[in-house]
Amino acid sequence: MAIISREQIVEGLVKILGQDRVITDEKVLKESSVDRYRKYEQVCEVYTQPIPAAVVNVMSAEEVSEVLKFANENEINVVPRTGHSAIEGGLETALKDSVVIDGSGMNKVLKVDTYNMQVTCQCGVPLQALDDMLREKGYTTGHSPQSKPLAQMGGLVATRSIGQFSTLYGGIEDMIVGLEAVFPNGKICRIKNIPRRAAGPDIRHIICGNEGAICFITEVTMKLYKWQPENNRYIGYKLDDQYMKLGFDCLREVMVAGYRPSFARLYDAADANMHFSGWLEEGKAILIWMAEGPANITPAIEAGIKEMMSKHPELEEVNPALIEKWYEGLNWGPEQIAEEAEEIKATQNIGITTEVSGSWDNIYEIYKTSCDRILAEVPDMTLMGGHSSHSYINGTNMYFVYYYNIVDCAPEEEINKYHDRINQIICEQVLKYGGSIVHHHGLGKARAKYVTQEYGSSYYMLKTLKQAFDPNGIMNMGTLIPLRK
Amino acid sequence: MRILGCFKAVPAFDLLREEDWVADDRLRVDTEYVKLEWNCFDEGALEMMRKLPERSEGTGAVFELDALTVGKKKADSFLKLLYALGFSHAVRVEAEEGAYAPPELVAELIAAYVRREKEDRAYDAVVTGVQSADGSHKKTPYLLAELLHWPCISQVISIEPAEKGCLKVISQVFGGEKTQLVRLPCVLAVGNAPCAYLRVPTLKDKMRLGNRPIEYLAPEALLADAAAYRDRGEKLLGLRPVDRSRDTVQIEGGSPEEKARIYYEQYLKGRLLKL
Repeated sequence: MAIISREQIVEGLVKILGQDRVITDEKVLKESSVDRYRKYEQVCEVYTQPIPAAVVNVMSAEEVSEVLKFANENEINVVPRTGHSAIEGGLETALKDSVVIDGSGMNKVLKVDTYNMQVTCQCGVPLQALDDMLREKGYTTGHSPQSKPLAQMGGLVATRSIGQFSTLYGGIEDMIVGLEAVFPNGKICRIKNIPRRAAGPDIRHIICGNEGAICFITEVTMKLYKWQPENNRYIGYKLDDQYMKLGFDCLREVMVAGYRPSFARLYDAADANMHFSGWLEEGKAILIWMAEGPANITPAIEAGIKEMMSKHPELEEVNPALIEKWYEGLNWGPEQIAEEAEEIKATQNIGITTEVSGSWDNIYEIYKTSCDRILAEVPDMTLMGGHSSHSYINGTNMYFVYYYNIVDCAPEEEINKYHDRINQIICEQVLKYGGSIVHHHGLGKARAKYVTQEYGSSYYMLKTLKQAFDPNGIMNMGTLIPLRK
Repeated sequence: MRILGCFKAVPAFDLLREEDWVADDRLRVDTEYVKLEWNCFDEGALEMMRKLPERSEGTGAVFELDALTVGKKKADSFLKLLYALGFSHAVRVEAEEGAYAPPELVAELIAAYVRREKEDRAYDAVVTGVQSADGSHKKTPYLLAELLHWPCISQVISIEPAEKGCLKVISQVFGGEKTQLVRLPCVLAVGNAPCAYLRVPTLKDKMRLGNRPIEYLAPEALLADAAAYRDRGEKLLGLRPVDRSRDTVQIEGGSPEEKARIYYEQYLKGRLLKL
């Protein structure tokens, strides 16, 4: 916790950045004390976390360096932020008089290099704007998370984000070329842009996924790919919900056979009903693939998947045009968030997601036992389901989707009564069967309490990294590693 | 008190892509791929109905809530939700696949259903939205009231329990709100209600209450010449996008006063003179 007063913190920041870039407006500070993990508290405008001393808008790596040095000297907790779309508590200001460092003003695309197929941009470049600009030139980053209309490059790298087309392009860790980041002592480090190197450990991964608990990311260089949507092929099958195990096996079959569709998804009936109820019967799950790439490859992927699926009489093919139209409306922007807030206020019904991963031999058990336990143990559930949306040669993810009514519960109690209880059940089941409790939202503060179980003996490495780079404990405390009570 | 709530499940038009707003060979816009949702005014109406028993707790008043829709099989899931929320009876009048039911037909079908009930089980009120997202005719509640010879209050924003045989109804009127004690029966057309969202039933309530049988009725069972109405409905002849583009001119000036003067001289004056 800071060794100087709240007023002195603000005064010091004003000296570094000037008055106009140090925000102390109470409403902004309150809203900056949380992220969408405390969605219900946000909607009710009840703020239970310590209110930060200031939000500062930084415009360069040098400014970030000065702010971090000041924070480090005065033991002020800082929370790095860009798009403010986090949903696991990673942006909560857990300690008194924290400072939120907002990099969203660093929003310049610095270089589009179509010969070396890479793009360099500052941390505050919105992914949507970047990819829209690239697509107009016939390129794409290949990164398309549901938060695309909200998220910015720094946060995407910090949370080890993944996009809807990950089965082809990989997660953001596969897309990063080079990085620039600032460490708590003010040191600015650049990792150069090269296709690969074997000069020691891959230090990009100290930065990627650090969730603001080790450094502040200021610049990102990503790979580019050709954007060829005219070649896209869509494949879909419906199946009875009781065949979810078969659904996972179908995803596996395609991956193991060596196909690389850009997306591969399996929705259970409860989740499918929210997306496809215009044409999908109640009680039906759905399997979906999209093939992306050169014109001579996508028909081959389509034909290969269809041939494999034709051997399963439980599957019924659906019109690919229906899948194509659905996929175009997937993302989640500010309008949806505003509408959702109104709906939560009116109905006291809230929807949350938790994403985990597992191997092919345990993902169904993780899915089934988590759903069963939640339905048996948590009151007021109105929907429990999920989908797998990112597949690998050795396993897949599960994206649990759940809704509940908030009954006889003050806003500040909602997290304990419902959200954390459900999270706990999911984490327990994942750990029991040997999966990972976090697939792509980050540990944040919400799931940091499970970090030692998640990491096992390798927790030593994470803890050592944190201690080495942040010895004074100023970087987003409570994220990744839980605060001591 | 027995109240019938009439609603439509409509395609989520905001999910329809701009390029899909084309008339197909049946002269219809294909909305099959988008999910159905409550027509927003109907959703508000049903939520108001749902609140009536809660608001009358301790008064001894008993509300029996029924729901009716003219729609396709997909609408069954909406009726099941209403069962789970405590509605007593759910009715779906079958709509012909691919055919649009004009408001004249919908009003006749609802009126016939209401008249079908015997006197001791007669409905005290019909509650519905003022218009639906797919037709936007704003006709059904008024036609229904005319057919039933009942009064109709439109732009309703609140319904509350009142003395026996009455409801307290608040509606929006030009320049304000009007509160009336309404003697029943009547038709209430809900407009921009402050709460336009229906509560969500729990999975337990869905399992406990949601699987009760829905009453299915062919239109002809209520109205002998139902088919004739379909031919009288509007036919889509074509579609064209509304051009919402606007020209923009940046007014340069040293002060707000100067900018206002330029705005008046160069833009407003000529237009005002033409009036």
